[in-house]
Amino acid sequence: MQFSHLPKTVVLLSSLAILVAVPWIASDYFVMMCIRVMYFGMLTLSLCFLAGELGVVSLMQASFFGISGYFIAILQTRYQISFPIPPLVGIGVAVLFAALTGLLVIRVRGIYFLMLTLVLGQLVWALASQWASVTRGDSGITDIFAPVIFGISTEKSKGAFYFFELFFFCGVIYFLAALKRSPFGLMLRGIRESESRMAMLGYPVSLLRYMAFIFTAFVAAMGGVFFAYFTGLINPHSVSLTTNVETLLSAILGGIQTLFGAILGTAILKILDVVLSGITQRYLLIMGILFLITIMFAPKGAAGALKRLWDSVVSRVFGSAAPAKGATDDSFLEDTK
Amino acid sequence: MSFLVIMSLLNGLTLAALLFITASGLTLSFSLMRVVNLTHGALYMAGGFIGLSVINLTGGWLLALLAGGGVMAVIALLEEKFLLRWARGNDLIETLISLSVAIIIGDLVLVIWGGYPKTIEIPAMLSGIWTIPVIDMVYPIFRIFMLGLAILIIVALWFFLKKTNLGITIRAGVDNFEMVSALGINVRRLFTIVFCLSGFLAGVAGVVGGTFMMLVVGEDWRILTLTLIVIIIGGMGSLGGTIVGALITGLIYSFATAYIPEFSLFILFLPVAVILSIRPQGLFGKKV
Repeated sequence: MQFSHLPKTVVLLSSLAILVAVPWIASDYFVMMCIRVMYFGMLTLSLCFLAGELGVVSLMQASFFGISGYFIAILQTRYQISFPIPPLVGIGVAVLFAALTGLLVIRVRGIYFLMLTLVLGQLVWALASQWASVTRGDSGITDIFAPVIFGISTEKSKGAFYFFELFFFCGVIYFLAALKRSPFGLMLRGIRESESRMAMLGYPVSLLRYMAFIFTAFVAAMGGVFFAYFTGLINPHSVSLTTNVETLLSAILGGIQTLFGAILGTAILKILDVVLSGITQRYLLIMGILFLITIMFAPKGAAGALKRLWDSVVSRVFGSAAPAKGATDDSFLEDTK
Repeated sequence: MSFLVIMSLLNGLTLAALLFITASGLTLSFSLMRVVNLTHGALYMAGGFIGLSVINLTGGWLLALLAGGGVMAVIALLEEKFLLRWARGNDLIETLISLSVAIIIGDLVLVIWGGYPKTIEIPAMLSGIWTIPVIDMVYPIFRIFMLGLAILIIVALWFFLKKTNLGITIRAGVDNFEMVSALGINVRRLFTIVFCLSGFLAGVAGVVGGTFMMLVVGEDWRILTLTLIVIIIGGMGSLGGTIVGALITGLIYSFATAYIPEFSLFILFLPVAVILSIRPQGLFGKKV
């Protein structure tokens, strides 16, 4: 076990170094792609965390993503409130909304959870599209400008925006990784495996589920901040079912279990998005078919395959030290039976 | 009572009729197979468009109704036989499969029929208006026909579930699935039949809904949302619950459309929240 930690640290540090170097070594286009993957990645991370640690599939994470984006847009374009306040209010409102809806969704499990979050997400979408006097309906709100930080306009410099986002992105990853490893994360996994047993041992099961839901809303809302700032516009599409399903597809493509998988899945889907939009308008059709195939044939996703490869490489290099802990983490797909 | 109140009341009732037709099939397949068939909204929309094409070709509205329902029953059959059965036993995977099928159907509809809103013409026999006596108000005959159709379907479903052998087996399956299969009844066939019936009802609802509202891409998710709300409020697997759920949803939606159009859908958050906090299993649902 000691050995398998060493390459992990090396990989982590070197990938961080590469991420920091990106604006200097890569083209502007690649930087923009990274920015997109990072904010959608935060959305996917929030879904992955819920699915991996709690064993529930949420179809309303994009609501929190969109709510923070909408609040930034409204505060900035209607009331001309300057930088630090709109994102703080946006994230705050999204978390409040999670605290409200969380009271309902923690009462249900399995497919009921999926169904209820779908309905709640759709209601948020309906609000975004119908409440035209505030949200400007289907055309959405445009002209959201990214803030000036330390005297550098992140609106003008994509590199500056990249670092601005990367800082919070790494923060989110650290936050989730720490949560996963903390007693809190262990308790969540305990609930996932056997809720009744955890309840009998005296753990406040509902409270823990509730807190996990709110934490993920916070992560999704964080992604929404950068989405709104980078694209400069927000419309009902960002809270639509399509966005929610894309998020779910990213999560499944990458594999629900790992944080890395969420980012990998998001990157795959966003690259696919770019490639497909150049040649066909049937993006939804292809996405649906891809979703169907992944769900039916590879529900553990690409990261699952990569993880197996990684483990086998580690075991070959360091003897038999490969951690065989995959078994405890794989129950997401079986535990709803 | 003012004109607007009566009008909203009647519109709410007709919408409830439509929602009942959609939700009854969904709740039946859900309570039997533990799969939320998220394709239901897409089946509704595709059924409506098929009805539209049939009526353009032949001109017969009743034929369109049957064609819409029939084709959707076949699609539901194929979905159940080739996709859902593949993952039988894992209800989460099954539900996600139905979600992906819904996306595929939704985009195919866009390819075939285009993105512009369309309506099915009201058949000559059912067009025109009817002056309601006493309050002296006019109301389209077709909407009254819809109420009648919903009542007919309620009676037919009730008869089917209570009096026929097949219906009794289905109800037994809803109550205790293991026991029914232990008795040697072919459960797979039962699933297929219920799924077909559910698809048929969705298609029929699509043709009816396409005649009194409009057919447009995106309608699938709106109808699915409303239908799921009906089921959440009414409770799973109960025909009576579906009726009450449809009435509550239809009336609230209709009054909200008249008085607070900007929140007409979002306001449905209220009944969902209230019902879920008091009775998580829905008004008439059994504890799971």
